[in-house]
Amino acid sequence: MNTEVTVLYFAKSAELTGVKSEIIRVNSELTSLQLWQELEHKHPKLSAVREQVVLAVRREYVSVGEQVVRLRHGDEVAVIPPLSGG
Amino acid sequence: MEDGRGLDLIKLTTDKLSTDAVSESVTCSSCGAISLFIGTTRDHFEGKRVVQLEYEAYVPMAELEMRKICADVRRRWPTVRHICIHHRLGVVPVTEASVIIGVSSPHRSDSLEAVKYGIDALKSTVPIWKKEIYESEEPCWKENSECLWTGSRAERKTT
Repeated sequence: MNTEVTVLYFAKSAELTGVKSEIIRVNSELTSLQLWQELEHKHPKLSAVREQVVLAVRREYVSVGEQVVRLRHGDEVAVIPPLSGG
Repeated sequence: MEDGRGLDLIKLTTDKLSTDAVSESVTCSSCGAISLFIGTTRDHFEGKRVVQLEYEAYVPMAELEMRKICADVRRRWPTVRHICIHHRLGVVPVTEASVIIGVSSPHRSDSLEAVKYGIDALKSTVPIWKKEIYESEEPCWKENSECLWTGSRAERKTT
């Protein structure tokens, strides 16, 4: 089953996609790696940061891997490049 | 301000940060110590002259992570009274403060340790990014060594 979520891009990832946010339709149950692959399919340039990002789902960190993510309509997903605050 | 619970004061702002404002916000008459950390922006990196720095944040999640740091500080140093974390966003001229953390406690060792913990945790967990703009080279998004997913996935410190 598909659902609509908002994806936010920050820092280098926003420069690569050229957008700061977008709404996408994805499978509502998938691994975080599959979710990342959906984003990379949509924005091939994201492959440049594939090894350096984690995701946030509903404002909680999720590393890109086998972890299953369950998404609900309207959820917020974010691409989080390495942090450099402070 | 002496009654009730300690305050967790969090702010992300494009305005210039004020050390006085942070210090005053954690002042409390039962505390013998206010410890402050001020993170400032450097004018060079590996020989390159930095002309400007820009910060951006995932604001609602950054606030959430900063609140988690406050909760962790209180678990580790229960005598800590007030905690204030101000982080600047947008363009920050070199030498100005990008972050100020203030902590008050009855005795100095707790607030000194808590401030160090606070800045280390902020660098590793709060979703904020800094871009350095150089005089004569391409701009560069920085990476904190404290960040748990810097470098290749195979070398991740997290699971």
